[in-house]
Amino acid sequence: MDQVNQKKQVETLEGSWEDYIKAYYEKPASFKSWSGYDLKEIYTPRDRSAEEYEKDIADAGTYPFTRGIHANMFRGRLWTKREVVGIGSPADTHERLEYLAHQGGSGLNTIADVTYEMGLDADHPRAVDEVGLTGVNITSIRDMETLTRDIPLDKVSWSVITASTAASVSMAQYVAVAKDRGYDPAVLRGSIQNDPIHFRYCGFRPACPLDLSIKLGSDVMEFCTKKMPKWYYTTVNMYDLREQGITAPQEVAFGFGIAMCYIDELIRRGLDIDEFAPRFTFYVSCHIDIFEEVAKIRAARRMWARLMKEKYGARDPRSMQFRFAVHTAGCSLIPQQPLNNIVRISYEALAAVLGGVQSLHCCSYDEPMCLPTEKGHLQALRTQQILAYETGVTNVVDPLGGSYYVESLTDKMEEESLKIMKQVEDIGGMEDAIRTEWLDAQFESEAVKRQKELDSGEKLVVGVNVFTTEQEKSTPLGVQRVSSASAKQQVQEVRELKRTRNMNKLKIAIARLRDDAGERKNVIPAMIEATKAFGTTGELLGTVREVFGYPYDPMEILESPFQ
Amino acid sequence: MVRNKKIKVLLSKVGLDGHDRGVKVIASLLKEAGMEVIYLGMYQTEQNIVKAAIDEDVDVIGVSYLSGEHLVFTPKIVEEMKKNDLDDVLLIAGGTFPPEDIPAMEKMGIDKVFRAGSLTEPIADYIKNNIKKGKE
Repeated sequence: MDQVNQKKQVETLEGSWEDYIKAYYEKPASFKSWSGYDLKEIYTPRDRSAEEYEKDIADAGTYPFTRGIHANMFRGRLWTKREVVGIGSPADTHERLEYLAHQGGSGLNTIADVTYEMGLDADHPRAVDEVGLTGVNITSIRDMETLTRDIPLDKVSWSVITASTAASVSMAQYVAVAKDRGYDPAVLRGSIQNDPIHFRYCGFRPACPLDLSIKLGSDVMEFCTKKMPKWYYTTVNMYDLREQGITAPQEVAFGFGIAMCYIDELIRRGLDIDEFAPRFTFYVSCHIDIFEEVAKIRAARRMWARLMKEKYGARDPRSMQFRFAVHTAGCSLIPQQPLNNIVRISYEALAAVLGGVQSLHCCSYDEPMCLPTEKGHLQALRTQQILAYETGVTNVVDPLGGSYYVESLTDKMEEESLKIMKQVEDIGGMEDAIRTEWLDAQFESEAVKRQKELDSGEKLVVGVNVFTTEQEKSTPLGVQRVSSASAKQQVQEVRELKRTRNMNKLKIAIARLRDDAGERKNVIPAMIEATKAFGTTGELLGTVREVFGYPYDPMEILESPFQ
Repeated sequence: MVRNKKIKVLLSKVGLDGHDRGVKVIASLLKEAGMEVIYLGMYQTEQNIVKAAIDEDVDVIGVSYLSGEHLVFTPKIVEEMKKNDLDDVLLIAGGTFPPEDIPAMEKMGIDKVFRAGSLTEPIADYIKNNIKKGKE
């Protein structure tokens, strides 16, 4: 619509002229960081703790890696520009992947929908209405074939976002397809989210009982350590934890606590820390407070290095490097005045890059309304490209290092995170903090605090509690819809597959999976064979679940067809 | 007429959507605003929700949608409410959806839609001013 500044159309000035004049003298309302820490007016050399540069900060690429894990950072290689894609059927998702790859994306990134994460086949009675609404459902190896069709799996870097216990099936499906296409798993590059423990806090508790989360999560990690040396077998998801409303230090402390659950299990299995730790990665949030987020990342790097060296006795420097992807904070985005989200995302992405990120997903501005539209996705990718190619922020390693403020805030983030980690340790460790629902209570009380901060105006968000306007009638660049026709088609195809596959072959493969699970062997090899025999996500996971004493179907509707 | 009984609100997730931060926060803050709140939890069906609304004799049903499932489940919930003559129960929804869908949701039978980014007071005020039970 054209805009013409005729008088009756200009309604930008709300309230009286007195408000307008007062605005000239306005001062910030608060001097706290996003996480609530009081900040000084100015930081000077006197605010620096008694740190020694070589011991506590050091050049990038040098222990404790506070300034970055590589000596030359982005001069050696830019971060991976990776936008999350998951929409409707595997074919629909494939189309969007190709589109973004051709627009200059540098890594593929696909996300499971709620049905897949819950471990339900597309034809499950509770899944049929929701298939593809928030991501992609892979029920059988055929869906994975469609998703990966024509993509050179030995050359691209693929991030598979399946987080729940279904990540074990995802890994099996991906490897099975790669093998079918003639690739040795050893050449595959990418990552799988595979962090079932955290996913109980994202609405997937029936699919993520704690013991099974540790078992299957660690199976994927162990399998990849032995067979897929170029693969990152987990991205422990601190981001999703932060989205619950917690603070920056809580994000680090809880994320590390969950990471240690897997590490302890892998060590119990007899793996050496330096054998597997170099492929351990994290998914980190970047929220809107730029300096606090950079400080958080720098603190996390220092803490991880010390944890790995001092607690776990790592000797290989690669084991001590905190590798992470950033997802800009979805919960910072709002549907009110939605174009402003582009600005929020840009600041958050800037923080990620100033923090020395390895791989970045910028949210699309339209995410508080719908799945990303093609235009929204493209704009998010362009946000990354403007940062990478126009702003010059890639020129110098850790550009905020040495700032009196940022170094002091880094120390503060570390101090607060360590305090929380100690609290968890005193409870008896993260597993106990989870079992006793201590962690649930933390999330719930913090989330209420965040809403009260908005209700009281203690925190300001443009469009929410300040500079509000009337509710929009439409979404600026259109709305992304999920094709119900392609969802229905996928359900039909799954039903057809189940009718026509060779049940004898499948029963043998399922029996082996059941045996391996029963003998507490690593189940990934048996899952690969079962998926090749057209065993489905629900069937593979259900078989293992039963062995561990859980209902075959997380929704407790279906019975196992393999009795 | 003046009601002397607390307003009773049933909040629920529906389908498989697991984004429950918002609905739990609203449950907690509506309680602080003086209402009695029952949070039914995740993975609910329209039958579970309506049955609980009848059993608990609530004034308000609030559903939370954050996974694009609002157009699928709204007609089912409204239909189930009609079948059980719950026409004096206020139906509200909250979560993430395109503004384009709000008129459709209201036409389907939702009395009021609150988007992400809503403050607590307007939600509490809307409920207080619009409950249907006990009003002639």
